[in-house]
Amino acid sequence: MAKTAEQGLALAQELYEHRGMRAKELAAQGRSVVGYLCCYIPVELLTALDLVPYRIQGGVGKPLKQVDQYLETIMCPYVRSCFDLALGGEYDFLSGVIIPHTCDAMHRVYDIWKYHLKPPYSHCITIPHMTHQASFEYFQKEVEDLRESLERFFGRSASEEDLAAAIGLHNRSRALLRELYELRKAEPPLISGVEMTWVLVAGMTIPVEEFNDLLKDVIAEVRSRSPGADGRPRLLVVGSEVDDVALIRLVEDSGARVVMDDLCTGSRSFLKDVDLAEGALSGLAAGYLGGITCPCTYRPGKVAQRFSYLEDYARDWGVEGVLVYTIRFCDTYQLDGPEIKGYLEGLGLPVLYLEDDYIMPALAQWKTRIEAFLETIEARKQE
Amino acid sequence: MTQEVRQKTSSRKSTESAGKIRAIVKRMYQQAQQAKEEKRKVAYCMVMCNHEEIVEAMDIVQVYPENYAGLCAVKRQAEPYMEKARAEGYSDLLCGYSQVGIGFDALRRELGDMPPDAPDGGMPEPDMLLGCSMGCDPRWKWFQALGRYKDTPIYNMDVLMPPSDANMDAIEKHSVRYMAEELRGLIAFLEEQTGKKMDYDRLMAIVRQVEETRWWWREAYKLRKAIPCPMSTQDHFVLFVPHHMLLTDPMTLVDNKIGVIEDEKYRLLWGVGLPPWHSMYILDYFLDYGAVFAAETAYMVPDPFEIPPDATDPVELIALRAFERNTYLQRQGQKAGGIPPLAQAHLERIRDYSIDGVVMHITRSCRAATMGQTLVRNVIRDRYPGLPVMFMESDIIDLQTYSEAETKNLIDTFMEMVDAYKRSAA
Repeated sequence: MAKTAEQGLALAQELYEHRGMRAKELAAQGRSVVGYLCCYIPVELLTALDLVPYRIQGGVGKPLKQVDQYLETIMCPYVRSCFDLALGGEYDFLSGVIIPHTCDAMHRVYDIWKYHLKPPYSHCITIPHMTHQASFEYFQKEVEDLRESLERFFGRSASEEDLAAAIGLHNRSRALLRELYELRKAEPPLISGVEMTWVLVAGMTIPVEEFNDLLKDVIAEVRSRSPGADGRPRLLVVGSEVDDVALIRLVEDSGARVVMDDLCTGSRSFLKDVDLAEGALSGLAAGYLGGITCPCTYRPGKVAQRFSYLEDYARDWGVEGVLVYTIRFCDTYQLDGPEIKGYLEGLGLPVLYLEDDYIMPALAQWKTRIEAFLETIEARKQE
Repeated sequence: MTQEVRQKTSSRKSTESAGKIRAIVKRMYQQAQQAKEEKRKVAYCMVMCNHEEIVEAMDIVQVYPENYAGLCAVKRQAEPYMEKARAEGYSDLLCGYSQVGIGFDALRRELGDMPPDAPDGGMPEPDMLLGCSMGCDPRWKWFQALGRYKDTPIYNMDVLMPPSDANMDAIEKHSVRYMAEELRGLIAFLEEQTGKKMDYDRLMAIVRQVEETRWWWREAYKLRKAIPCPMSTQDHFVLFVPHHMLLTDPMTLVDNKIGVIEDEKYRLLWGVGLPPWHSMYILDYFLDYGAVFAAETAYMVPDPFEIPPDATDPVELIALRAFERNTYLQRQGQKAGGIPPLAQAHLERIRDYSIDGVVMHITRSCRAATMGQTLVRNVIRDRYPGLPVMFMESDIIDLQTYSEAETKNLIDTFMEMVDAYKRSAA
C-alpha cells in the first residue's frame, strides 16, 4: 500500500479513517471495485471473479448536502447518508453497485441509485424475507443470477474451484474474526470496542487476502497485551449499522467496555462459516440466508427462541448490560426492539434503548443517559 | 387565478356505490364478530397478499387490521391505541397502522375484553395471523410482535416484488415456483388450524370469480378517463376497502356527462402515498378550485391478468398471477427505456387520464408509500416538464404533524401553478 507502512491496529485505524483509500488505489491500478450495501451480499462471488468487494458506508457526523433533492427525509438516515456521499462523488471509483432487497429502504433506493447515479454496473438481489425450505432454493437461484450477471458484465467466469477458493478465503476471515472476538472474553478484553470497530470497518474496504493479513497482525498485537482487571461494566451492543466509533467511544470513555455485538457490521456476518459440502452456491445461499440473524428475515417462534443467542453471548462474554441501538424510521428493528428489550430484561440484564438518526448522533444527550445506565449496572453489581 | 375560492369546505357528489360503503364496512365487522361467537375461525390478514381466495375457500373469516386502523383514523379514534403502543415501547415513527393494531391488541390483553368504544364494535380475537412480504416490511413483522399479547399461530409468506431491471422471462419459472410453494405452505397451515381439507375445485371457482370482479372493477375505473370525471378519489379510497364497485353507476354518470363537480377545470392525479385517513375532507378543498382527482396510484386496481385456458392448478395460477402483476410495471418501464416502475405507474396515468397536476402525500409513519416519491417527481419533471407536483405532508393515522392551515396554503400555491400550466399547455 502506498500511503502507509504500518501494520496491525495502526493500519486498521488508518483504513478506518480514510475509508476508500486502499480501494481507490486498487481502482487506479485497474482493478474493478464493486460496491454493495448490507451484509447479505455473497461477496465470495466478487472475490472469485477477481473483483474487489467494497461495502458502501455512510458518513456519521457529515452533514447531508444534496440528498434532499433525491430521497425523502423520512427515509432510513443511513441510506440517505450513503446516497449523499455517492452524490458528492465519494463512490465514483466503483465499477458497479449491488443492492439487496432486504428492507423497504434498500428496495426503494436501488431504482433511485440507478436512475440518478447511473453506475456502470448495477444489480438488485432479492433476499427472501422467509426462511422456509423453498426460500433457500429460491435464494440459491438469486445467487446464481448474481454470479451470471457479474460474469456477463465483467467478461469473466468463475469455476467451482474459483468459488471454493474464494469461500475458503472468506471463511478464513470469519475464523480469524472469531479468534479475535474470543480475546474480548478476557477481563478486561484485550481489544477495545473502538479498536474492534476500526478492524471491522477496515475489513469492508480491502481485498479479503489483505484483510486476513491484517487480522493476523491485529491478533498477534493484542495477544501480547496483559492489562490488569479493572471491573468496568461489560456491554453487548445490539442493532444494525454501526460503522462509526462515536457511540462506542462515548460508552468506553464513560467507563464501560464494549465486549460483544449483534450488529450487521459486526458478529452477525462471521459467526458461522459458509459450508461447501453441498456445493458453493448452495453453501452461499444457506450461509447468508440461514446464518445472518437480521430482523429483515422472518424467523418463526416466540422471542426466547428467536433471541436465545443473545443469552449465549451474554453468558460467554460476561455481559453485564446491553445497549440496543436502532436507527430512526427502521420498521423492522422497531417492531423487534421492544421484544428484544423485554427479553433481555427478563434475563436480568439492564438495557439501554437508543433510537438514533445515524447522521448526527446526539452525543451530549446520550452521555447523560449512558452514565446513568452505567450507574445502574454498578448498583446491580453491588447488590 | 380568477375564480373565486370558497373558504369553507363541503362534501361533494359521490357515486351511489360509495354511498353504500359505510354500511357494508359496518356489516363486515358485525359479521366477523358474529362468526367468532359462532366459533367459526377468524384470521387477521394483510390486504392484497394473494391469499384471499385460499382463506375464503377454507371458510375462514378475514379481518384486516390495516383497514381497521384506517377506520379508527377516519373516526378520529386511533389515538388511544397509538398511545398504548407507545407505552409498550414502540416508536412513534413506526408504521401508523401497526401502532394502532398493536395498541388495540395490547389494550384488549390488558382489559381482558374488547376495548370500550372500539369503532364498529372492534376486531374479533383472531384464531390465526396471516401476513406476507408484499408491499412493506410491517406486513410480515407486525403479527410476530403480537406474540407479546397472544399465542395465536402465525403464517407468513413471501410474495415477490422482482427488481425493476430483472429479466422477467429468465426469473419467472423459479419465482412462480417459490410463490406456489409458499401458498402450499399456507394451505397446509390452514388445514392444520381448521382440521379440514382444501377443496381445490372450489378454490379455482373463487379465483375465477375474483378475476371477473376485478375485470369489472378495472372497466369501471377506466370510465374516469371521461371528462368530466364521474368519480372522486374519496370514492376510490372507500370503495377499495370492500372491493365494491358497480359498473352501471359510473357508466350512467359518464353517459349523462355528470362529473364530480359541474365545472371541471383541472384533472389531478393522487400519486403514490396513502391517503390522510384522519382528514379526508381536505380533498374537497381541491374541488373548490374546480380540480378533480381523476386517477390514483395508491391502492391501485390490480393489473390485468388473463387466466390461461388450460389452467387446472389454482395454486400455480395464483402464484403466476402474483408474478405477472408484480412485474407488470417493471416490464412497462423496461419497454419505455428504463423508467422505474413506480414512476411508470404515474406516467401512464398522466397520459391516460389527461392529468394537469400531481399530488403526493408524504406520510411520516409509512415509509413504503413515501420512499420514491421524490424519484417519481424527478422522472415526471424529465418527461412532463412544468407539470406541477405537490407534496402534502401529514400521516396515514397520526394527526400530530398535520396542519390544515398549512396544507391549504400549499394547495392554494399548487393550484396557481396548475392553472398556469394548463394555460401554457393550451
